Amino acid sequence: MSATQSSQHPVAQSPAELELAELIVNALNLEGVAPAEIDPEAPLFKTGLGLDSIDALELALEISKRYGFQLRSDDENNVRIFSSLRSLAAHIQTHRVTG
Amino acid sequence: MTLQVAIEGVAFWASRLPGWDLARAVIRGEQAPPEAASARPAPTLLAPTERRRAPDTVAVALEVAGRACEAAGRKPSDLPSVFASTHGDLAISDYMCSTLAATPALISPIKFHNSVHNAAAGYWSIGTGSLAPYTAISAYEYTFGAGLIEAATQAACEERPVLYVAFDIEAKGALASMAPSRGLLGAALVLAPASAAQKQRSLILTTESVAESRPTAPRSAAAPLVADNALAPCLPFFEILAMSQPRTLCLALSKQMALNVQVN
Repeated sequence: MSATQSSQHPVAQSPAELELAELIVNALNLEGVAPAEIDPEAPLFKTGLGLDSIDALELALEISKRYGFQLRSDDENNVRIFSSLRSLAAHIQTHRVTG
Repeated sequence: MTLQVAIEGVAFWASRLPGWDLARAVIRGEQAPPEAASARPAPTLLAPTERRRAPDTVAVALEVAGRACEAAGRKPSDLPSVFASTHGDLAISDYMCSTLAATPALISPIKFHNSVHNAAAGYWSIGTGSLAPYTAISAYEYTFGAGLIEAATQAACEERPVLYVAFDIEAKGALASMAPSRGLLGAALVLAPASAAQKQRSLILTTESVAESRPTAPRSAAAPLVADNALAPCLPFFEILAMSQPRTLCLALSKQMALNVQVN
């Protein structure tokens, strides 16, 4: 990792996190956001990337298409699962069937 | 029925005629049209969250809506509005149909959100922070005339200026074979109650029952540039607006109903 990258996000992304970051940027058409620059520990919603509830639904759809398992809208752990790139990537790695 | 309204502002945007000044010059034969199609206008009015989700319908409708208000010197959030589109977003309708047929649980929430006929009107009211009423209408091939009469009726009856926005975009997929439309085309007017002292151009609209409506045909060099778009029936109206002389044209409201438009 270069010094420049480490100053922009203090914690490095894993390959699975980078793959998910690319999915998020493409699925949600995020303007001016480079997948590799998303801080894996920063909030995805409200602050951080500034996503909202429609984005959460779109993201759940794209994840189910890519990784072959359903993210449920009534899962009581959704706040934790969707809290950051890191937690969402970890959830996907545990439950993925394909991709 | 006869209605008289003033025209406070005009806007026009087509992929090959991006802007009213250019469209007017091409209609008048003063300028050649650009060789290439322009990229869709950027809906800069919207906050980033709405902007990144905005489909082509919203981009072209908001472009002309904003320009017409600017030309009229009116604050967008003050104006009631009428949004008219022949097909709405046929690309999304086609996506919805094919996804529902193949994998119904996998409909994109963003595409679903954008699929409604009043999507452009909704984005406009969010983007401008407007609480004024809006209307979204469609009347297939008679859409432009139907929207014009709706907007003029509101301006005359409510005695306040009204924004009229008409738009159609490119059709995609299987639906395009039944309801073809190419490129982007949007047009907008700010109409206001007619007053004796006005210096603006004005319209007198009269409906007429006829054996068979015969709408005025387009005649300018702009016609082939928009002929493939579903909103092409609006062009003769803008051809007359582009000229300074008063003229009358006919728009069809149905097979047996004509809308005679005197442009002063």
